[in-house]
Amino acid sequence: MVFSSLVFLCIFLPVNLFLYFIIKNRTWRNWLLIISSLFFYAWGEPVWITAMIFSTLFDYFNALMIEKYHGTNKAKAFVALSVIGNLLLLGAFKYSGFFVENINALFGLSLNVPRISLPIGISFYTFQTISYVVDVYRGEVGAQRSFFKLLLFVSLFHQLVAGPIVRYSDIAAEIEHREVTATGFSEGVNRFIIGLGKKVLIANTAGELSLSFLGTDYEKLPVAGAWLGILLYAFQIYFDFSGYSDMAIGLGRMYGFTYKENFNYPYISKSATEFWRRWHISLGSFFRDYLYIPLGGNRRNHARNLFIVWFLTGMWHGASWNFIIWGLYYFVLVFAEKLFLKKLLDRIPAFFSRLYLLLIVLIGWVFFYHIDMGEGLQFLGVMFGRAYAFTNSEVSILFRGNALFLVLAVIASTPLAKRLFEAVKAYFQGNRTRVAFMDRVFKPVINIFILVLSLAFLVGQSYNPFLYFRF
Amino acid sequence: MKKLRLDAIAFILILGGLGLANLLNVNKPTVSVLENRMLKGRPTLTVSSLFSGEYFRDFEDYYSDTFINRDRVVKMCRDIKDSMSLNEPGVTLVVSREQNAPINEKTPDTTPPQENPSTSKPTTTPDTNPGISDEAATSATPDPTPAPPREFGDDETVGYYLIVDGKAVQLFKFNREGMDYYAEVLNKYHDVLGDDVTLYSMIPPTASEFIKLKKYADITDSQNDAMDYLYGRLDPGIVTVNVYDALNQHKDEYIYFKTDHHWTALGAYYGYCAFMEATGREPVPLSHYETVKIEGYLGSSYTKTLNKELEKNPDTIYLYLPFTNHEYIMYNGNSEETAELIDMSYAEGSGDKYLIFMSTGGATWSVIKTDVHNGKKIMVMKDSFGNAWVPFLLPHYEEIYVVDARFYSKYTTGMTIPEFIEEHGIQELVFLFYMEDVNWTKFMNGVESHLN
Repeated sequence: MVFSSLVFLCIFLPVNLFLYFIIKNRTWRNWLLIISSLFFYAWGEPVWITAMIFSTLFDYFNALMIEKYHGTNKAKAFVALSVIGNLLLLGAFKYSGFFVENINALFGLSLNVPRISLPIGISFYTFQTISYVVDVYRGEVGAQRSFFKLLLFVSLFHQLVAGPIVRYSDIAAEIEHREVTATGFSEGVNRFIIGLGKKVLIANTAGELSLSFLGTDYEKLPVAGAWLGILLYAFQIYFDFSGYSDMAIGLGRMYGFTYKENFNYPYISKSATEFWRRWHISLGSFFRDYLYIPLGGNRRNHARNLFIVWFLTGMWHGASWNFIIWGLYYFVLVFAEKLFLKKLLDRIPAFFSRLYLLLIVLIGWVFFYHIDMGEGLQFLGVMFGRAYAFTNSEVSILFRGNALFLVLAVIASTPLAKRLFEAVKAYFQGNRTRVAFMDRVFKPVINIFILVLSLAFLVGQSYNPFLYFRF
Repeated sequence: MKKLRLDAIAFILILGGLGLANLLNVNKPTVSVLENRMLKGRPTLTVSSLFSGEYFRDFEDYYSDTFINRDRVVKMCRDIKDSMSLNEPGVTLVVSREQNAPINEKTPDTTPPQENPSTSKPTTTPDTNPGISDEAATSATPDPTPAPPREFGDDETVGYYLIVDGKAVQLFKFNREGMDYYAEVLNKYHDVLGDDVTLYSMIPPTASEFIKLKKYADITDSQNDAMDYLYGRLDPGIVTVNVYDALNQHKDEYIYFKTDHHWTALGAYYGYCAFMEATGREPVPLSHYETVKIEGYLGSSYTKTLNKELEKNPDTIYLYLPFTNHEYIMYNGNSEETAELIDMSYAEGSGDKYLIFMSTGGATWSVIKTDVHNGKKIMVMKDSFGNAWVPFLLPHYEEIYVVDARFYSKYTTGMTIPEFIEEHGIQELVFLFYMEDVNWTKFMNGVESHLN
């Protein structure tokens, strides 16, 4: 199930919230969450739910062993076992086809390429369980004695399907004991609605429009069409993914869990380095804490460490070379920024460094979108002038037909609306009724409007793909 | 509760309320009149559909398809989107996805044995021609779960419609491979049938060719150029019928519907004149026909785009009633039934009125026997454009065999098309597919599959 489906919104969620809040007993509440999360998962993945349960069981035992043999080589062995086991699970499901294809290409063989369907959310939950086991090994968090509480952490439907990658240590206390206040619940609803609006109103619309340009016959694509197409894709992927994270964070708050932020207006960054501190934060910090720093960080073999991290970051996004190229593209940029570029970017006016960032991000999305590298390069060629025309009627009609939408998407990519809201509140400072009006009437009314509109669009558009299923 | 903010209360009430309303709404609609298609029915739970995840997918489709007040909400969304456009009123470019299983479908029983899944496409109705096939238009990040095997015609195709001055035109994108393949398939038919059977290639262009596009002239590729390209590749033994010029001479007349992608019966009549000219015969003047007029038609382009300009500007259907005595028999699977060439039962209601022509035209095969006892027998292999055209042939042939390329099944008749032609002593074979189908490889796949 996905959050932006009517079955989730009109059946699953209301029923779940109702049961959750009439049950007062903590243990029963956890059971409700486990059972409903398993149902939620099985809705999309009825068979490979077994892989998730197995993975949880596996790491449940590993963590207990690690704690038992704390400080000995046995603990090391179990942490290695866990990491290898998780990576093998991920590798088998996600990369075996890719691996065999490359072996075939490299040695001219024709081995049978396994076609295994990727269980939903496997890229997220394997990382979550790895972080759990490693944190136990590091002594940062105690091993969970109850298998079912660990299963609750892994399977929790808020973040199971598309992240953020929640660490056990972040919610360990909340699994045992959590409180939901009216304010917390309201904030959760607020956040969820914003995420839903991002996904349904912006990401889906942008995705549908981008189909007029991306994946078409590039010999007939004018320059402006290529730029418009990749811009729409940039909106689609950001609002899709960050909308999903917002919904997860919002759901968490409704149920008393606090998840960390996953996006922080990445498109306003002034460098690739900054972009990656604002984009998919939970993934970046995972690689930082469990790979980059253990490898030696910037102290030794800095270039090698960065290369490995970016190679794997790319590969995590999909079992295809274009994703790896996309990762390595950022390796080059981030490394160049570390060496000299960052200093330069800091000195020039912010307008130019933002322009630089937007340009490289859009080029990055070209690699990301095109599984076929040849097509990707052809598309890049079109963007930079190797096209039959600069623009055509189709582009201008579609552009003018959606110019307001584009303006809206640009504004929504920046903290502008949020800052404006805060500024108005600051202006009203001292007048408690007016501030209260902004918080308790104005904002909720806007949210209700977004909710109703999103629901209408969900009913109105049958077209509702989910972009991050690939990962 | 009292501390809950307004939006949190609304959130619970709206979602819970909608859930309840849908639960209590027992009379779920089965068709969308607005979109002219079957809505998804409630899936049945089986062990295999449960474990493949199909049940859940189907249930989600069913739930959103039968959502309370869906039609009204769909229109509301359209109005919101329209209101955000900065184009001059009346100009919109609509990207539409094909929907399958429209209403009024007479499901032809053409399910072929498994070994050849591409023979026919039972999910598509005879009246709906798929738009531009755009296979590459799928998302860049396909689902990890491989989609269930799709049948021919089940693909998600994308069609581009330009709506200008209250008329919808399907935009043409020249596809070289598609063109080459059309020529290849026809040449193969010619090779197999030899010179005993005269072959005609007749390709009605779409309305986009004749609409005056001052500002957006480059938006659609020239179908005339495509035709020239094609004719260079067809075997010289195949007679090409110049529909293009015939229509071009009358381009200011009502030869295409405004809200539907088909030609009108008048357009089809000019197509018939071109055919007569190619065969050196005199066409029957239109004044010989008794005319019937049906108003208020909103056709396929409307149901696919739901465009407001089209809604304000419905079509009128003019029908020319055949004067030749005849009998029209449709063979669906193993059953046969006599039908009306101009079937007024489709004129009622809000369904697709183009189905009046040849009573949908969707049969495994059909035959028209006339009292013109001249021994002439012709076969028309067609798509839905043929439905408005075939009735004009009546004064000239004793037997007219009609095969829709999408619905013919050699497994039902036990004959390939060449065998069928030999069996019935047919002397002429017309291929009548409109330009979008000619341009569409998958459609021509079906045509090729009837060869052997």
